[in-house]
Amino acid sequence: MRTRSAQFNPGVSSKQREIVRRSLQLAAIAVVFVATAGSAFSQQVATPQASQTTSIPHVKCVIGLENVKANMKGTLSLLPNGLEFATGKNKVDISTASIQDIFTGQESRQDVSGPAGTVAKAGIPYGGGRIVSLFSHNVEVLTVEYVDPNGGFHGTVFVLSPGKATVLKNQLVAQGAKVSNHLQPPPQEQKP
Amino acid sequence: MKRLARAAFLSKFSAALSGTVLTVACLLAQPSLLGEPEPAPQQMQKLTASAIQLERSDPPEDLLIPEETSVAMYENVILQLTKTKKFQHVYRSGDRTAASEPDLVILRLIPQAFKAGSQKQREVTTVTGATSIKVRIQFASRDGKVLREEIVEGKVRFYGENLRATYDLAKKVAAVVKETF
Repeated sequence: MRTRSAQFNPGVSSKQREIVRRSLQLAAIAVVFVATAGSAFSQQVATPQASQTTSIPHVKCVIGLENVKANMKGTLSLLPNGLEFATGKNKVDISTASIQDIFTGQESRQDVSGPAGTVAKAGIPYGGGRIVSLFSHNVEVLTVEYVDPNGGFHGTVFVLSPGKATVLKNQLVAQGAKVSNHLQPPPQEQKP
Repeated sequence: MKRLARAAFLSKFSAALSGTVLTVACLLAQPSLLGEPEPAPQQMQKLTASAIQLERSDPPEDLLIPEETSVAMYENVILQLTKTKKFQHVYRSGDRTAASEPDLVILRLIPQAFKAGSQKQREVTTVTGATSIKVRIQFASRDGKVLREEIVEGKVRFYGENLRATYDLAKKVAAVVKETF
């Protein structure tokens, strides 16, 4: 018996150790599961926020924002209460409530443009600049019409990558921005 | 031979010179042919106003203008009106604070024609693809009396994006404002 008990006791202790080991493994698995689930839940919570605060970099503001020079590039963000255009120094907000109408349109822009591009094209001999002018890319134009607190009409024209203006417009409409039904003229430029 | 040739050259040169002098004298006698402005029969009376309000007008139904062009034209004209420094205040369309101005002039931009060109076509061919926009500008008093009316056209012919036509138009509107006020 002694021997048995002596043999039994080490067996019990090994079982206890195994139980402890298994419980530790289960605890570790549970911790991993909880951590994974937590991150998954946090992602689920973060996803709607990300869709509400869409940011589009490298957007050109052609004209219409105060304290922003014409043709400045910046980041156009959709906030929960409207649009925000941010350049290096300035930030301009357009609240959803002040928006009167939103238009989108397609255009094409030269790959090489601007004063420097024009000079470069003019400098290519044998009319090579004209060949360079053949290269262009499609862009989408977002026009936002809004009023200031005094009722004064403002209009802003943004140039974005294709498809992004329509997404922004739809999100602004979902926020409650006013949009009227309008006839769009045919696109100004067509692909050759 | 050399002397004869020299004499012939001198005689021809003097004849050409005298002809040129006579032509210039005739032109100077008629200043309008040289492009000098004739004295206007009636000097245009300048208007005075301390404030101006830019109103947007819808184009005719058969004239389709892209909204970005319309908005760019409006914003460019606002900028150019401010730059003229002819007015203490430049009010936007619908601004309620303009009602308190004692001598307010209203400027209306009424689109007349629009031709959507193509930047690519312009830069490749040089002679085609121009974008142009024609607008009737109307200065009116608060009670609706038209004070002055003129047609202005903005164009982009060679280099630049289509919206640059609105900048050209705004510069021309500012020039009309400068000669009117």
